[in-house]
Amino acid sequence: MKLAKYTKFREEKFGGVLFETRSEKVYTLNPTAAAVVREIGCDCSEREIVERLRDGFHDSGDAIALDVKAFLADLRQKGLVED
Amino acid sequence: MTLDPAYRAPAAAPAATPAATGSGDLGAPLYVAWQVTNECNLACLHCIEESGPGKAFGDELSGEQIFNILEQIMDLEVPYLSFSGGEPMLHPRFFEMAEYACRRKAQLKIETNGHFLSTENCERLAKLGVKAVQVSLDGASRETFNRMRVRGDFDRAIEGVRRLRAAGVPIEINYSPTRFNVHEIGAAVDLAYELGAYSFYTGRTMYTGNAVKTWHKLAPSEEQYTTFFDVLHVKTEEYRGRMRVHFHQMGLLEELRYRLRHPAALLIILPNGLVKLINALPFVCGDLRRQSLDGIWANFQHAWNDPRVGRFVEQLAADPNKTALLHQWIHL
Repeated sequence: MKLAKYTKFREEKFGGVLFETRSEKVYTLNPTAAAVVREIGCDCSEREIVERLRDGFHDSGDAIALDVKAFLADLRQKGLVED
Repeated sequence: MTLDPAYRAPAAAPAATPAATGSGDLGAPLYVAWQVTNECNLACLHCIEESGPGKAFGDELSGEQIFNILEQIMDLEVPYLSFSGGEPMLHPRFFEMAEYACRRKAQLKIETNGHFLSTENCERLAKLGVKAVQVSLDGASRETFNRMRVRGDFDRAIEGVRRLRAAGVPIEINYSPTRFNVHEIGAAVDLAYELGAYSFYTGRTMYTGNAVKTWHKLAPSEEQYTTFFDVLHVKTEEYRGRMRVHFHQMGLLEELRYRLRHPAALLIILPNGLVKLINALPFVCGDLRRQSLDGIWANFQHAWNDPRVGRFVEQLAADPNKTALLHQWIHL
């Protein structure tokens, strides 16, 4: 998985921004979303992203996995990431 | 990975345009629009920059200054950058600038009159991977285009766009309405699609720059504008999913009042390094020959709150002709 060709990511104090420059749409991200997108930029798989978030939050439940799955589906649907 | 200790589900706020994205919380602009020179081969009746042959500013940035600014833009991770003018492709360092920006992974848009889009130049732009080349086509016919774009040649611009397409460069078309081309808007949108554009931009032509002297020939009537926007609404639907038809129906005053509350995450760099708050106001909030981009951005929000800015906008309500003064810069 990687950011789509026309998508740029920048970290901000509040989390981050995703800018799809072709449609000129900007999405502001909360810190968790920014952490997920940062991992996408590092070429991580969905499973690796979930593992890292679980480690970061010392959480072993299913909530993070479900949240990440839903978030990535949203990013795919918006054309912001591609596999 | 370092995370905020309190877990919150990942969330992306609904999309906004860079212009509608508040600048206050951002560490840097989202978009830098850089007018790299005021020199132009054309002398368009409506040019808001008063560009034209021999119109380069006497104090335009040196090569060293340009690359210093570019480096700052890239270091701040500004995701979106455009080069305009004047005619940016006339700048002697144009391709070096484009190469630098693309090498540093900027999404770069070139805004051109399309008269220097040779096969070689188009292939070079394609190889660089520019995000888009926006060509101004103010008419769907030779007659209206050539009348508007003094010294311009419709056929040459069209050929240029076709070469962009052949080279695989993403194309955007820009259109400025006047009383003598406004009736061609539907045909212009169709032409843009036929030429392979993925976006078409238009809006109200502004009373500033060269348009001040030619307004009696240019200004569409409100009735013409009504028809113009009606056609655009229809075309937006007709091309949905194939080409984005993007237009600003908002009047200048309405837009500026909105900007006072929500300054855009956008900086405009003039050919001499001065930085403007927004094109439609005369206010300058920094000078890149003397200040860092970072420092100017830090002051940007504060500059929008300067009472002179709000006063100027409200004076525009009483006297719309004040836009004729946009080139008499006021330093904040």
